[in-house]
Amino acid sequence: MTTAAPTGDLLRKLAPQVLGALVRRYGHFDAAEDAVQEALFAAAQQWPVTGTPDNPRGWLIRIASRRLIDELRSAEARRRREESLASMTPRDELHEPPSSEARAPSADDTLTLLFLCCHSALSPASQVALTLRAVGGLTTAEISRAFLVPEATMAQRIGRAKKTIKSAGGHFQVPEPAELPQRLAAVLQILYLIFNEGYTATSGYSLHRADLSAEAIRLTRTVRTLLSDNCEVAGLLALMLLIDARRPARTGPGGELIPLADQDRSRWNRTAIAEGVALVSEVLPRKRLGPYQLQAAIAAVHDEAPTAADTDWSEILGLYDLLMRLAPSPVVSLNHAVALAMLHGPNVGLEQLAKLDVEGGLVGNHRLDAARAHLLEMTGDRAGALAAYQAAAAGTLNVPERRYLQLKAAGLQPRSPYPVLVETPAVP
Amino acid sequence: MSKYLVMIFGGQADYDAMIGKPSEGHPAWSQQDLQAMFQFMESINNDLAESGELIDGQGLAEPSQSVVITAGPNGAPVVSDGPYGETREVLAGYWVLDCASVERVTEIAKRVHRCPLPAGTAPSDVVVRPIDEAPAVA
Repeated sequence: MTTAAPTGDLLRKLAPQVLGALVRRYGHFDAAEDAVQEALFAAAQQWPVTGTPDNPRGWLIRIASRRLIDELRSAEARRRREESLASMTPRDELHEPPSSEARAPSADDTLTLLFLCCHSALSPASQVALTLRAVGGLTTAEISRAFLVPEATMAQRIGRAKKTIKSAGGHFQVPEPAELPQRLAAVLQILYLIFNEGYTATSGYSLHRADLSAEAIRLTRTVRTLLSDNCEVAGLLALMLLIDARRPARTGPGGELIPLADQDRSRWNRTAIAEGVALVSEVLPRKRLGPYQLQAAIAAVHDEAPTAADTDWSEILGLYDLLMRLAPSPVVSLNHAVALAMLHGPNVGLEQLAKLDVEGGLVGNHRLDAARAHLLEMTGDRAGALAAYQAAAAGTLNVPERRYLQLKAAGLQPRSPYPVLVETPAVP
Repeated sequence: MSKYLVMIFGGQADYDAMIGKPSEGHPAWSQQDLQAMFQFMESINNDLAESGELIDGQGLAEPSQSVVITAGPNGAPVVSDGPYGETREVLAGYWVLDCASVERVTEIAKRVHRCPLPAGTAPSDVVVRPIDEAPAVA
């Protein structure tokens, strides 16, 4: 990120708190969000020179409030109206945050903001952008780089998102208890989406994008501290940590995917694994199972195996059984079939895949072809495996995956490929 | 700084050769061939990202997955799937770059052209086109 640590880290931690304080006091989420961005920008420029103020949060609230009031005033002036909150409030009251505010923990505002940013009236792309800016404290330029779109496009997307929330009547308040689970599910989904955007990044883009996974983990950690007894929040955090731990080992020098079984496990991040495993161990016994916890538990079993051959496939199969009951999907069925094959042999897995063919949810899906290719290779059917790898490679749009599948197909080529170069016979 | 589109081309036969379906003039790629190409492209992309010149860069899926809209007899649009022959070369990948000069982008394009290929494969042309500047957005 562009601001140097520790100023950058501090600013991004404070950003949602400052925005929350402003919106709670003045409303006007859209204008407040702009004002906070300006205050963050001012801080990023001034603090490294003047030193960080004693009360950085108060400083930011003061500056952002001033900007917001100025903006509201000029907007009002343009409309020649006098009834705005801003114009009726004594100026000092607007500029100085109440003394209580600087001390009171306002972390709850972060959660309320997350709910607002993940408003159901917005598209997932807009939810992601708004979450990263309003809660993550990233600049529009940083977000646009992460998603490879021009900054003007991202600015428009964020602007439109804020207007949409306004016209949909989105309020800065914690959802009613009855809607909380559904609203929280939307938030967790967006956090996982942000994580995956960073995780699936490839090529030169990983330089831009790796930070998205770290950002998603940071935000999920924040939600975890706010909703510490929610098992799915813990499950999502654990899942992210357990997957992210493999990052150093998951791609080769050419950016090709290295499958779990072939990864150099000594390169996995042990600290992240330990934290993820501890979270899973903490929440699973509470028996409030959910899809994130189960996926985290599966990831934990993989991460705890010293070698691929040590993987406890019966444990994994049991977890997939549960996941199929709790959150069935064709991909879960596919993974279940693979676990079955690892436990009882490739032919059992191939039979399961044939059933998936009949059910039809994954026809033409490269993951089905790739799984079939692996199992056929295990049975020794090289020609069948080659055809399945070829179908999978042609079917995927994911670059690391395609590179991996191309390499597998190349490795199964018959000994003499198509003769192109005709050997010149040696002159006697 | 100006923006440029750098393009590389290929036909269905090139895509097929990369997954082990060779044809005349398009020998199958070995694992070593593929790895050399992947690493070559990876290092270009990383260098361009580090220099700040990379705006976007993508590979395109095989031509057989294309959808083409042409004018029908009465002028109404007609949609067809993957209408290209095995050998017809179409856009296979591109970079959008922000470079200091046409000399600089030409240098990058020459580097792209040096991509390692299996023996017997002809390299694709690399084409550089300047991108018209859009009016500044307020």
